[in-house]
Amino acid sequence: MKMSHAWRPVIVILGAVIFLLILRTIYVPADFTAKNGDYKYQWHRTGNEKYWQDYPAKHMGQEFCGTCHADKVEKISASGHQKVECESCHALPEKAAKKHPVDLKEDFKYLLEIGVDSTRELCKRCHAKLPYRPAEYAGAKGTVKFKMIDPKTHNAGIECVTCHDVHSAGFK
Amino acid sequence: MVTRRDFIKAGLLTVAGMTIPISALEIFKPEALASLVESFSKKKRWAFVVDTTKCVGCGMCAKACKLENEIPFEAEVQRTWVERYIQTKDGEVIIDSPRGARYGFTSNDPYGKELKDEEVAKEFFVPKLCNQCEKPSCVQVCPAGATYKMEDGVVLVDRSWCIGCGYCVTNCPYFARFFNPVTNTADKCTFCYHRITKGKQTACIDACAFGVRKIGYLHDPNSEVFKIVSTQRVAVLKPEYGNEPHVFYIGLDHIVK
Ligand code: SF4
Ligand code: SF4
Repeated sequence: MKMSHAWRPVIVILGAVIFLLILRTIYVPADFTAKNGDYKYQWHRTGNEKYWQDYPAKHMGQEFCGTCHADKVEKISASGHQKVECESCHALPEKAAKKHPVDLKEDFKYLLEIGVDSTRELCKRCHAKLPYRPAEYAGAKGTVKFKMIDPKTHNAGIECVTCHDVHSAGFK
Repeated sequence: MVTRRDFIKAGLLTVAGMTIPISALEIFKPEALASLVESFSKKKRWAFVVDTTKCVGCGMCAKACKLENEIPFEAEVQRTWVERYIQTKDGEVIIDSPRGARYGFTSNDPYGKELKDEEVAKEFFVPKLCNQCEKPSCVQVCPAGATYKMEDGVVLVDRSWCIGCGYCVTNCPYFARFFNPVTNTADKCTFCYHRITKGKQTACIDACAFGVRKIGYLHDPNSEVFKIVSTQRVAVLKPEYGNEPHVFYIGLDHIVK
């Protein structure tokens, strides 16, 4: 028996429905939802949350460095620099940083480039005299006078570490 | 009379029209309707406090952030930066943030012009970062669903789903967004999501020796952030945009933009 001509357009339309549904399933990832029913701000691939949770942490602080350099961390904790993290001076942005004698990346999964930034510019970040830098600081040992110098007149051209011991925040 | 051609045309149009919004019918679920009226991040909601009165403009925060989040150090983009505000005695306001302050502020020379102390009425530093808004306009404008808010209030970007259209970059009233030159997607501060979810502080907080920055749950009575926000006078940036920022500032001045 021949199919009624009326069926043919219906089949075309059904085909289109199936095609669109398949396309949608392929194109939209399975975990793309509005989580918690928040339709305003939460449409996303829930799988991506893991990407950000698993992102490697790099900045480790005094605690990590102290596992090998306990003496240094102890010294700095007793000084005016107690709250300065090792990485403020020892983590370097340049890829070709000076090598740390122990392979931090292999052995300790530490991810930053390590060296020493002993430039005047680094010390000036806190100690160059600016009228709006707070002059005193409340530390664990009470108020610390915040030392500021005029970099133009204070031994211009010499690295600060020539005379100063950074870890004791005093003179050498 | 309806021709066969008309029938197919109308049929296909109906199908096309229906397939798209069928998923939108979900919006009538009770919890979805509720989300339109009240936001859900009431209990565990990350918030940040910046005490501008303590900031010395050393920029160690900006440096640490760059290293932590692998934003190329020399590229002129940053997730957090420090702005310097100077009001001169004749009323002029100068705002600068050389290289996002990743090398700190070492002299009083905004845009290369040396300022004398006696010309200046007031000066201070204001660190900035993404405000992890309660009603983030960057999320609203994202056509791909690549930028989204977690239930704990942190706004994240799905790097493999971002199409790079840049709507979020232009729609954030705080200029907190940029294009990451490595991933070629939109980028922004994540409150160091990988650190705070493991009980660590953000890299910028760790690096700040002056206790300028703090993070914690907003409604947790034990968090320092809660104590500060609920007992001290704090302000947010540009409240008139209605984004409800969750970075609270101590000592904000009216000249801050
Ligand atoms: S500050 Fe800008 S980028 Fe951050 S959540 Fe708010 S609108 Fe989005
Ligand atoms: S590290 Fe702290 S004091 Fe230094 S610029 Fe950043 S917020 Fe200010």
